[in-house]
Amino acid sequence: MTDSALRAVDLTKRYGRLTALDTLNLDVAPGEVFGFLGPNGAGKSTTIRLMLGLARPTAGRAEVFGADAADVARAHRSLAYVPADVALWPQLTGAEILHLHARTGPGTDPSYRDELVERFDLDPSKPARTYSTGNRQKVALIAAFATRAPLLVLDEPTSGLDPLMEQEFRTAVRAARDRGQTVFLSSHQLAEVEAVCDRVGILRAGHLVEVATLSRLRALHRSEVTVSYAGPAPTLTAVPGVEAITENGDGRLRFTLTGSPAAALRCLATADVTALAVREPSLEEMFLDYYGAENGR
Amino acid sequence: MSALETAPGGAVIRLAARQIRRGGVIVAVLIAGMTAIVAATFDQVMADPAAAGSLEALAGNPAIRTLFGEPIGLGTAGGFTVWRVGSVTAVFLGAWAILATTRITRGEEDAGRWNLLLSGRITLPGTVVRHLATVLTVPAATAAGITGVLVASGTPMTGALIHGLGTGLLGLFFAATAALTAQIFPARTPATGTAVAVLGVTLLARMIGDGITALGWLRWLSPFGLMALSGPYVHDRVVPLLILFAAAVAIIVATGLTAARREVGSGLVTASTSRPARLGLLGSVESFAIRRALRPLAGWALGIGAYFLLIGLTAVSVTDFLADNPAMSDAAAQAGFPGLGSIAGFAATLFALLAMPVGGFATVRLGAFVAAETDRRLTSLAAQPIGRARLLGAEIAATAAASALLVTTAGLATWAGVLMMGGDLTLTASLRGVWNSMPIVLLSLGAAVLAVGWVPRWVGVVGGLPAIGGFLLLVIAESVATPAWVRDLSPYAHLAPVPLTGAGWPAIAVMLALASALTATGIAGYRSRDLRS
Ligand SMILES: Nc1ncnc2c1ncn2[C@@H]1O[C@H](COP(=O)(O)OP(=O)(O)O)[C@@H](O)[C@H]1O
Ligand SMILES: [Mg+2]
Repeated sequence: MTDSALRAVDLTKRYGRLTALDTLNLDVAPGEVFGFLGPNGAGKSTTIRLMLGLARPTAGRAEVFGADAADVARAHRSLAYVPADVALWPQLTGAEILHLHARTGPGTDPSYRDELVERFDLDPSKPARTYSTGNRQKVALIAAFATRAPLLVLDEPTSGLDPLMEQEFRTAVRAARDRGQTVFLSSHQLAEVEAVCDRVGILRAGHLVEVATLSRLRALHRSEVTVSYAGPAPTLTAVPGVEAITENGDGRLRFTLTGSPAAALRCLATADVTALAVREPSLEEMFLDYYGAENGR
Repeated sequence: MSALETAPGGAVIRLAARQIRRGGVIVAVLIAGMTAIVAATFDQVMADPAAAGSLEALAGNPAIRTLFGEPIGLGTAGGFTVWRVGSVTAVFLGAWAILATTRITRGEEDAGRWNLLLSGRITLPGTVVRHLATVLTVPAATAAGITGVLVASGTPMTGALIHGLGTGLLGLFFAATAALTAQIFPARTPATGTAVAVLGVTLLARMIGDGITALGWLRWLSPFGLMALSGPYVHDRVVPLLILFAAAVAIIVATGLTAARREVGSGLVTASTSRPARLGLLGSVESFAIRRALRPLAGWALGIGAYFLLIGLTAVSVTDFLADNPAMSDAAAQAGFPGLGSIAGFAATLFALLAMPVGGFATVRLGAFVAAETDRRLTSLAAQPIGRARLLGAEIAATAAASALLVTTAGLATWAGVLMMGGDLTLTASLRGVWNSMPIVLLSLGAAVLAVGWVPRWVGVVGGLPAIGGFLLLVIAESVATPAWVRDLSPYAHLAPVPLTGAGWPAIAVMLALASALTATGIAGYRSRDLRS
């Protein structure tokens, strides 16, 4: 049997009376890009810190390619990590930090690193104290992607990046998969995991709700549409993908939309629509809608 | 101001207060306590009329004046107390004020925690001034504490007030200085370093001004000198204190103006925006630990080296003077400085004190290690294939090596000073003397490591216990004649006066074993706990 890249067995972490992570059982196969999706406070960072041996589990255990996560000197030889909130030594320049990473880490490809510095548009000659949040994140991402480590653990790595850099990030994740590296990507953005992941674990209030396929994930993905109209209200009841219609009575109508909007738009075209607003609900709202409230802590 | 406007200001003050309250309470209580204890011992010391006369005669020697301040008014409980602990408590309060101020201002800003704070309605100068104001409650409380205990000990009200106010104003001055350097420099280390340098240079100015009559005017330029010039219980002058107050106010105004002229995260001196990579000592955790220790080491070595050079330069004069006045030697012994009659004895007495700054250095370094963990700089190293024991071990090794270099610097400086004055102290004797203080330094390091493993928030206090707490315990125990076992709790009680005598090997062995046990327990704790972040 081949080892999982990452394995959690009954992994549990309690902070006093708060159960941040409740008996997580999870296997991530070598070579896959695994999304770890959950709203803020779900326990994603806690899980990752346990898997990296930065925090000690209250119960259960975690393994990295068969090595106990607590045996850091061994387990970390096969992984690279980008923390959620990157802090750097302020007096070192980007280049010096990348050098320190390369020399203390599991092995780095220097030419790919230089390429990544170009692609992420980082000025490595500046001291880290002058870097913005996004630039600090870039340093950590470049250091991680440039390693040859078979596993990359990324904790919400795009929260400080602008959209252009987010694209570069997705390119780098795909390149890592093509090289055979496993990627464990935590995120609270549905669109991000949809774009790059093969499988997605859904975490809510410390519980792994399910390990979902991409089609299941698409079903989760819905928009909230508000239309204002003059004249009679459009009839949307039978339109596929439209649900939870609420009429406010003041010439406004709200509904949720899953899948293709084509049918709904055709229907709206027949009415005298004066304004249209589309909102992406937060992940927590989607989860509440989808899984109900009973999974709260 | 409406309630809406005052609310965030109050929140800033509460935030600042939370960060300094523990240290602040310890400092104020310790200083008031030491003052009270020494004041209480006066009658005991003065019971012997010969001792009283001899102490008074010490005033004539320039070297004594240089090292311990001008001993005026020794005939009264108040004057005696001011001479005995006044300088120590002033340095203690000044150093704490600097460290606390730069920690909660520039340190927090460095860690990026002010971005959030300042996205609200509070301006940068407003935030800085509120933090400074919060720190200032500690010198104020200390001033009140000193005055209170001195009055309660039955000394005259005016002298007590002058000494209490002088100490408080000195704390005010250095907190303000640190707040200003924190605006000028874009990082905590140079801000702290510059403020500490101001403290060191002004202390030196006071020493030189006290020792050399022709340069007495130097004291008007130094907060320590102004405190001395106020002459509590003897002259009771208010003018020097007014000057000190005016200087501090000027610095606070300058701080506000400077803060208004810069952006969050930057300083008046902007960090060089680009520079070529310096890749030396970045190859492993061990070398990186050395790299981070180098700058602080250079600063501490400069300060400690200067002080012990001064000791070396004055050693000949002090010992000659004491050798000519045997009654005086006895008096000095009574006052807690035995064996001062020979250069070896004088050096041995002062070498023991070396464990305090160097033990402090070791504690500060481990404190910086915990700070790096807390603000998550350490996370990226902890995520490399490097075990916790090795991560902490690298820091311990670098700190121990740097501490050894510091005591060696003191030994070389003392030897050079004595040599220049034509005195008699061999290099080996000097080095043996300074190395003799290493076991106490290692005890402090071990205690700091223990705290890193089990109570990381308490590194500063726990690490300071053996070297600094131990010394205070010894002084207090000798002053109030406690049972012997209390005095024996202090590691200083077991330190042989090297180079006057040979080293006390059994005691050294016990201390080293204890230091090793503390270190091992600390490492074990560090391996088993969660990283703070
Ligand atoms: N060191 C800690 N002490 C106490 N509670 C913590 C600690 N770390 C995380 N938590 C709590 O655990 C829960 C999960 O946090 P986290 O793993 O950071 O969530 P996520 O990364 O999914 O946003 C939160 O409720 C958080 O407040
Ligand atoms: Mg998180």
